Amino acid sequence: MTTPDFDRFLRHIWQTEDEEISCTECFDLVPQYVDLELAGQAPASTLPRLKQHLDQCGVCREEYQTLRDLARLEAEGRLPSTDELRNSF
Amino acid sequence: MDSRSPRSNAEWLSALRSSGAEQADAITELRAYVLRAALYSLRRSRGNLGRLAPTEVNQLAEDCAQDALLAILQRLDDFRGDSRFTTWAYSFAVNTALVAARREGWKSVPLDKVIDSPRLDEWTAEADRTPADPQRLALQTETLAVIREAIDHHLSARQRQLVKAVFFEGVPLDEIVRHWGSNRNAVYKLLHDARRKLKTHLEERGFGVQETLDLFGVGR
Repeated sequence: MTTPDFDRFLRHIWQTEDEEISCTECFDLVPQYVDLELAGQAPASTLPRLKQHLDQCGVCREEYQTLRDLARLEAEGRLPSTDELRNSF
Repeated sequence: MDSRSPRSNAEWLSALRSSGAEQADAITELRAYVLRAALYSLRRSRGNLGRLAPTEVNQLAEDCAQDALLAILQRLDDFRGDSRFTTWAYSFAVNTALVAARREGWKSVPLDKVIDSPRLDEWTAEADRTPADPQRLALQTETLAVIREAIDHHLSARQRQLVKAVFFEGVPLDEIVRHWGSNRNAVYKLLHDARRKLKTHLEERGFGVQETLDLFGVGR
């Protein structure tokens, strides 16, 4: 474990709540969270338990970030086309 | 899918629940959305796909899109309408693609050895920043000893393995789920319980949040 990993570990311990939502609950709420965020609202205030889960769960957080960026690019008309994506590998 | 005006949520649901050509058109359109999302997700996770040829990555995207599409169609009744339908649909593609990418990236790693590796000693040594201030060093050493004690004596064997894998080795939760034949909710709960035990142990030993974070410079 490197120093940044230890920082993360310590922070995760202290940010632990007695009750936390599951990954399935997170999955169900993330689309709403993303759309609120893209609409310029404050999703962490509306869905604080989801935000807490995203801070704790690396795989759910990666999926949220990917979905958020995908939806943002699409909304801005900057999402690469299917062919462009296919040819990017 | 770019040439027509976007469907509303109600139009998506109506078309996907219809039959004949209307339903077939909607499924074709939805599949195009989902494939694009899968490709985008895999491209972001290219670091996990280094061993795959471009044709294999494209095939993986097709497979992920198909799996995501089936999941979406099976769960249409779960869509509550509190997001755009396409955002909801994308979430299936993103999940499917990133799980597949993580699988690809970790498939050659022997998780048995990773999870059971006795790296705690190395970790405490690495985490020690040996500050110039002797008092600070003493406090850091004491804190690390308490965390080590909690990990060694207050966690179950399974929790200890999980904490080591996730925090010490950076193993994605999905890969532990697959390795143990479990599910993401159960493994997350196991990790949550482990974190709670560690937090309680630190509190019972008189450690506070901010002093501990400050001690190690976390959050500067």
